[in-house]
Amino acid sequence: MSSSATRHAVTSAGRAGAGDGTGSVDLRSVRKSFGGVTVVQDLDLSVNPGEFLSLLGPSGCGKTTTLRMLAGFEQPDSGEVLISGAAVQHLPPHKRDVNTVFQSYALFPHMTVAANIAYGLRQRRGIDRAEIRSRVSEALDMVQMTRFADRKPNRLSGGQQQRVALARALVNRPSVLLLDEPLAALDRKLREDMQVELKLLQNRLGTTFVFVTHDQEEALSMSDRVAVMLNGRIEQIADPYTVYERPATAFVAGFIGQQNFFDGTVADGGRVIEIDGGTVLLAEPVTTPGSGAAAVRVAVRPEAVAVTEAAPTEPDGSANALPGTVAAVSLLGDVLQYVVHADAGHELLARVPRRQAGRLAEGARVRCSWAPSDVHVFPAEATPRAPIGSAK
Amino acid sequence: MSSDRRGPRAAWRAAPSGLLTTPALAWIALFFVAPVGLVFWYSLGRKPGLYQTHANDVLTLDRYREALGDTFLTSFAGTLRIGLAGTALCLAIGLPFAYWLAVKVRPHRRFVVLALVLVPFWTNFLIRTIGWQVVLSPEGFASHAMQSLGLIDTPFSMLFTRGAVLLGVVYNYLPMMILPLYVALDRVDGSLREASKDLGANRWRTALQVTLPLARPGIAAGLLLVFIPLMGDYVTAAVLGGARGNMVGQLVASQFQQAQNWALGSAMAVVLIVVIALTILATAAAGAACTWLLTHRRRRELAGIAEGSPA
Ligand SMILES: Nc1ncnc2c1ncn2[C@@H]1O[C@H](COP(=O)(O)OP(=O)(O)OP(=O)(O)O)[C@@H](O)[C@H]1O
Ligand SMILES: [Mg+2]
Repeated sequence: MSSSATRHAVTSAGRAGAGDGTGSVDLRSVRKSFGGVTVVQDLDLSVNPGEFLSLLGPSGCGKTTTLRMLAGFEQPDSGEVLISGAAVQHLPPHKRDVNTVFQSYALFPHMTVAANIAYGLRQRRGIDRAEIRSRVSEALDMVQMTRFADRKPNRLSGGQQQRVALARALVNRPSVLLLDEPLAALDRKLREDMQVELKLLQNRLGTTFVFVTHDQEEALSMSDRVAVMLNGRIEQIADPYTVYERPATAFVAGFIGQQNFFDGTVADGGRVIEIDGGTVLLAEPVTTPGSGAAAVRVAVRPEAVAVTEAAPTEPDGSANALPGTVAAVSLLGDVLQYVVHADAGHELLARVPRRQAGRLAEGARVRCSWAPSDVHVFPAEATPRAPIGSAK
Repeated sequence: MSSDRRGPRAAWRAAPSGLLTTPALAWIALFFVAPVGLVFWYSLGRKPGLYQTHANDVLTLDRYREALGDTFLTSFAGTLRIGLAGTALCLAIGLPFAYWLAVKVRPHRRFVVLALVLVPFWTNFLIRTIGWQVVLSPEGFASHAMQSLGLIDTPFSMLFTRGAVLLGVVYNYLPMMILPLYVALDRVDGSLREASKDLGANRWRTALQVTLPLARPGIAAGLLLVFIPLMGDYVTAAVLGGARGNMVGQLVASQFQQAQNWALGSAMAVVLIVVIALTILATAAAGAACTWLLTHRRRRELAGIAEGSPA
């Protein structure tokens, strides 16, 4: 179903590479508060024409609010909102060249699917009936809903409603499409299919997509760039690979995928970090502001942790290694996940390819180790603003 | 056999639906069909003598001929005019108000406003109406206010005018319009209005194309709740309109009470019921026809896409 979604030619002029900035989005020092509570603070965000950008963050971090300021449903308290290079913060929603796919779909229940899709075109002047008809049927075709053109939305499944909502927005050929958790209401299988479809559609149309989600896998798999938000700020904005491999803050490191965190202090001029029960060697020394033993937080990905059966002769607590006991083993598809209780009290998560090693039993004595290049170091604050250095 | 396995719930559901609707049917029979049937029956009879109210020994349509005399028809036309104008006014005032209440007012303030709408209901209908008599009389507040504003220089009476009647009607029936409208508008999901604006419709087009069509059941309920009682009400009109407020309800009542002619009164009542029903049907038909005509072109525009016929 996903491949045929893009089979039909769609005559929307590719916006990508238009060169005149059509389809770009810029937020400049945007701030928004509700009743004294600041929800979005000093947000700077630039989206390139034709880009698929995800806003990713935990519940309540201000993703929807940011999107609503782009759509025009909320006015920023200060700052500028630019769409295709023009300031729009004072324009009402109906005058902005953006369309929204709502989380609840918000299909008009008193109109048929075709009439829902025609709605946006009918609000404009200068589109004749034949063109409305051909664009509606083209849009229906694009989301493979032609058969359902005459149905009312309440007689469609969730996935079908989602497609109609998408077609209703895209038929207007907006410069920017805003999507607020459009797949959240779908079950897992359907959601994964729709992710692929949506991405292919975006590639084909070249429309800028600003996609809100709190599902990190979704964001990583679909986006050109991911903006990770926390408490109304952007923690990091980068391509999925960078966000995953080189998280800018401890929060991003923990939010994207899973991490083993250790709290420790810097020693030996920044080359080594002392943690409970061992030391962590770094590939590159960290630079700490001031002198002395700075408190830091060390992160190691579960898939970077190697689990080996402990040889009785080996000394405990060598660098980048912690001895411990396997507490649980579970099979996650192609990988085995171990939960290891380290002797020093840490709880470690390790993921190893299923075929690579023999399966260790619960209660086995093991040694968890990792390479210096897999270690990330962050300042110790709960939500650091910027890393003091990263062992790349 | 098979019913044994279905359990009590299924058995309950399988019970003949007539059984479950019996109480409602009995209610309707007792309080609606019986009285209306009786009135219809009386209307076919006559008043046999000075001290008797009705008799059905001879069945005749003469009472209808009598009822449709000049006085009745004049008064009937007046009643219908007040009924239609009053209902239209209530809609014209109630719709923007209910829209404002459901859409613009913050949720926690809505109940305060709704309570204020309902405050007049806490006083007796007659007392409120007589209160207006005081306000509108030549020595009353309205006249004084207009004099002190320099709009008029001699005492002026609003009382016993058609305007006074309409004022009283709107005042007494407006809440009956606002409540169903508010409920209907409140149920229209705010994200639908946002979707409409997002798709390029300004607020007027959004109201016309999304909000109002979805609130149609509430509009119909409001119109019925105002129009039907209003057509039978004669107190408001009598108190504020005097001789000009001669409503048909008053004629019916006087046949039953003063003239003791139940047969004639019943005939008038039947005519009233029929005319109310016809007015409602005509309005509904006109509404449906308008909707059909307005959406006809758009439906044609998109017809047959599902079958894949060419544009
Ligand atoms: N209209 C409003 N009035 C008051 N507070 C609001 C309003 N809209 C949002 N908020 C608050 O702003 C904060 C951010 O809300 P927002 O809807 O942007 O979060 P979100 O990132 O979209 O979260 P979620 O993933 O749960 O949808 C929340 O704490 C919310 O309570
Ligand atoms: Mg949200």
